[in-house]
Formats: sequence, C-alpha cells, structure tokens
Amino acid sequence: MMDLRVPSGLFFTVVGLLLLGMAVFAPDTRAALSDANVNLYCGLAMVVFGAFLLVLAARARKHS
Amino acid sequence: MKPAFIDYLILAVYFAFVLGIGWRLRKRISTSGDFLTAGHSVPVWITSLAFLAANLGAQELVGMSGAGAKYGIMQSHFYWIGAVPAMIFVGLFMMPFYYGSRARSVPEYLKLRFDEKTRTFNACTFAVMTIFSSGISMYALGLLLELVLGWSFTTSVLCSAAIVLAYTFLGGLTSAIYNEVLQFFLIVLGFSPLAIMAVMKAGGWAGMAARLPPVMTHSWRYLGSASENPMGIEIFGLVAGLGFVLSFGYWCTDFLVIQRAMAADSMSAARRTPILAALPKMLMPFIVIVPGIAALALSKMAVGYALPTKGGGYDYDQVLTTLMAKFYPAGMLGVGLTGLMASFMSGMAGNVTAFNTVFTYDIYQTHIRPGAPDAHYLTVGRVTTVVGVALSIGTAYLATQFDTIMDFLQLVFGFVNAPLFATFLLGMFWKRATGHAAFFGLFSGTLAAALTHGLTVAEHKGGWLGAVHTFPSTMAQNFWIAILAWTTCFVTTVLISLATRPRPEKELEGLVYGLTRIRHEESPRWYLRPVPVAVAIGLFAVFLNIWFA
Repeated sequence: MMDLRVPSGLFFTVVGLLLLGMAVFAPDTRAALSDANVNLYCGLAMVVFGAFLLVLAARARKHS
Repeated sequence: MKPAFIDYLILAVYFAFVLGIGWRLRKRISTSGDFLTAGHSVPVWITSLAFLAANLGAQELVGMSGAGAKYGIMQSHFYWIGAVPAMIFVGLFMMPFYYGSRARSVPEYLKLRFDEKTRTFNACTFAVMTIFSSGISMYALGLLLELVLGWSFTTSVLCSAAIVLAYTFLGGLTSAIYNEVLQFFLIVLGFSPLAIMAVMKAGGWAGMAARLPPVMTHSWRYLGSASENPMGIEIFGLVAGLGFVLSFGYWCTDFLVIQRAMAADSMSAARRTPILAALPKMLMPFIVIVPGIAALALSKMAVGYALPTKGGGYDYDQVLTTLMAKFYPAGMLGVGLTGLMASFMSGMAGNVTAFNTVFTYDIYQTHIRPGAPDAHYLTVGRVTTVVGVALSIGTAYLATQFDTIMDFLQLVFGFVNAPLFATFLLGMFWKRATGHAAFFGLFSGTLAAALTHGLTVAEHKGGWLGAVHTFPSTMAQNFWIAILAWTTCFVTTVLISLATRPRPEKELEGLVYGLTRIRHEESPRWYLRPVPVAVAIGLFAVFLNIWFA
C-alpha cells in the first residue's frame, strides 16, 4: 500500500520551493497589511514540513 | 483580490497531486468492500486526520471565521464543548459495537441491533442529507469564488466536482481518506500564517482583548443569561443542546465521520481514531475562529482594515477572504485559495463516499437487488458515486433558484441527528430496547423537532404553525429543538420498549453493552491504548475551557 507520507512530503516540498522562488525573485511582493516577506517564511516552513514527512517515510521503508 | 500566475500554478500542482493519489490507488480496488469501506486497512494516523477533515468543509472555514467576528471566542464552544467530549465518548464506548459488530455502515448497525425498518428510515434520511449538504456547500463555495475572484459559478462548481469525482471514482474510500489528510495539512499550513499575522497586527491576544468588549474574549463568563451575550443563549441550552444532543448526535452517529474510524486496521485503531482526532480538533479554533476575532479588533484600529459589508449590515462570510487579501501576497495567496478549495473538496468527498456506501449496502442490496455477486455491488458503488456527484451539482443549482428552501433544509439537517443519538444510546446500553420502539421513537423525535420549529419564532424564522414562544436567537431555537427532539425520542423509545417483546439476549451478543466481551487493550505503551489517551486529551480540553473562560 502506498505510504501517504511520500506524496504529502513531495507536495509540500514542491509548494514550499515555489514560494521560496517567489521570495527570492520577487522579494518585494507585499500584501497591504504585511511588512514581512511572507512567502519566505511560509515557504521555509513548508519545505521543512515536506522534508520531515519524506524522512519519516524513508526511515519506515528502511525498517521494513 | 486578483490571483497571479504563481497562485494558479500552486492550485494546479495541488490538483495534480490529488488526482495522482487517486490514480495510484486505483489498483487496490477489486471488491465492493475495497471501494466502499477501504477494506479495514488504513493506519490510525490517517483515519484520525480524515475523521477530522471530512467534517472540515469550506463552510466551516468561512463560517467559523465569520462567527469569530460576530460572537468572539464563545464560538469555540462548537469545538471544546460541541465536539471533543462526544469524540472521546464515541471512541471509548461506541466504537467497540460499530467496529466489533462488523457492520459496514451505521444504518447496518441499526439493522443488526433493531430491525429493517429502523435501518431504512436512517439510511434514507442520511442519503438525502448527504446529497443536500454537499450541494449546499458547493453552492456556497461557487458563490464565494464568484464574489471574491470573479470566477464563474459554473466553472468553479463543475471543475471541483469533476476532480472530486475523478479521485473517488478511481480509488474509492481509500482515495477519499488519503486526500482528506493532504487537505487537512494544507488547511493548517495555509491558514495558520493568516491567524498568526492577523493576531500580531491586532496587538496579540492582550491587544485584542483591550480593543474589544470583554464578551468577545471570554467563552464562559457571559453565559448566565441569554441577554448578556451575542449568541442569545444561556448555559443550560448551550451545554444540553449543543454540548450533549447536537454534538453527540453528530459525532457519535453520523456515518460520514464514523466511516473513517470503521476503515481503521484494528479495533484499537478504530477506537483511537476519534480520540486522537480530538486533539487537532480542539486546536482548530486558533486557526479558524481567532482570525475572525482579530479582524474585528483590526477594524477598530486605524490600519486600513474594515469588516466587509452587505446591505446595511456586515457580511461575515467574507471575513476570511478579506483577511487573505490584506495579509497574503501573491504566492501565499495561492496556498490560501488552494486551502479553501481543499476544504471544500474534503467535505464533498466525505459526503459522496458516505452516500455511495449507504445507498449500495443499505438501500440497493437490501431492497432492490439482494444476493447478487460482489462484482455487481462494486459496479453499483461506482455508478452511485457518479450519481451522487451529479445530484450534488443539481442541488447546488437548485439552491441558486430557491434561496429560502436551502435555509430551511439546512435547519432541518441541524436536528435530523438529534433524536438519533437517543436511539443509539438506548440501543447500545439497554438490552431491553426493541425495534418497534426504536423506529417509532425516531419518528416521534423527528416530528417533535418539526413541531417545535413550527410553534416557536426566532429572528423571524419558524412559527409556521403559530408562535407559542419566542427565542432570543436562531441558535437558541436550534439548541432547544434538539433538546426536545432528543427527549421525545428517548421517552417514546423507553415506553414502547417496555410494552413490546424484547429480543432474546443471544441475538444481541456483540451489539449491546453487558452482552459483549470488550477486549482489554494490552499494548505496553500507554499512548497506544484508548483509555489513557482519552484521559490525557480530555484533560487538555478542560484546561482550554478554563484558560479562555
């Protein structure tokens, strides 16, 4: 059976990288009420979460 | 609000993953059980997140943040009183019968415990209800996207329905459940940044409390009488109506959520499914309600945010989307919009997968064509999935024509589950309860609900038989309808049971408390046993209630 952590981890890594791309290439993108580079922080959080799921899946595969 | 290319790209990536999961799971389907009940093989962390996500529709996200701006932190009662205790209860006390009886659906349990007519009554009301609720939420989403993004109603309704259909048709319940987990992650990651930024901008919890009347930041303090709080409800109506009847009626008997727990790979996992789901459930108010409270506080500061208006009053349904427009730049906006679509899809897939199971097993196999080979029921399940989606779309269009009918239906669904919990409580814990009693109890409870609505008025709603009593708010009316429906069902079922012949005890083994041997969970680790986990999570809910009292 498919390990759900693999597609979920891949999905958040991809979306996180897209956000990081925005953060790097269009760093001045701001919404009306936010002063921070929102895409940077959210992108980082998503890449970390995605990688975390992938690491868990890889460890589970090694054990079995 | 105008999405950029990157926002559409993120939405497209999401659609690709959702369809990909359905495609990968298609090979697992060889029997009707694989398709409709996921073959009792899903790991517990997945079933518990799906248990939560199937209930977390778009209307919940949009509605809860609006309610946060309207009622403040009191709205969290829908989670801390209106969900967590019932979720713990169903895991500890009811799941042994649902899972242990090997019933494939909640109506089928009613058949095993009571009789055919009780099952059919429940199966029919449930089937109608799932179609209408998925249609109504489709309508709500289409309307919102049209208003906020200028997308055409038809395009957004048909596109999202087609994607839900594709992945549920391919991979059945397993695919719906797997996608619900991805949707849950996306909702949390997509909306918690909004909550954090809105609260920070409003000066943190202390800043919000300083700018708002105290009733908005205390959940219990103003429940002494209905006139003290904006919900127009007093403590008894809230605790008995919402905390007991409505919440236990929904979380303990609604097949939409119970189906997720029944898909778990063991009894222990099935019991822990709703209990573990209670933990993220009680944290959801911080993501869905608190931003609404922050929005109200922001509207009182000179930062350039005003609550959206419609006609003469506030348009609370747009609180969430206006916050997104103010805080999310291109990129993150796409994640937020995708989260909104995801919540809509998880709600719809939940309804569709529950509908096809109940129709195939409890209506088709029981009344239309019993005894056919399993492959036939697999086909019926697949066809029903298509029909269910088509009917939902039809309902969504119906709603565009008859606005008030939808309002009314939504109210009806609010109390369809209320008498049901009395039936299950007596069925599972009182061996004397009989089939005739259950059927007429349910019937009289539903009738009592309709009569109460007809005889009472709140905010110009109800009272189609004359106004005997006026409630301060529709919420109070709803809670009291539920209390009366439950009580009527309970009393009628007890009385008729005592007057009818009980079933022999031998037939009730595995179905009723006291006649069932419940295996003690022997796992050496406390966090793998249902009872200690339930105690820990229950204590945390008590703490949250006290902290925000």
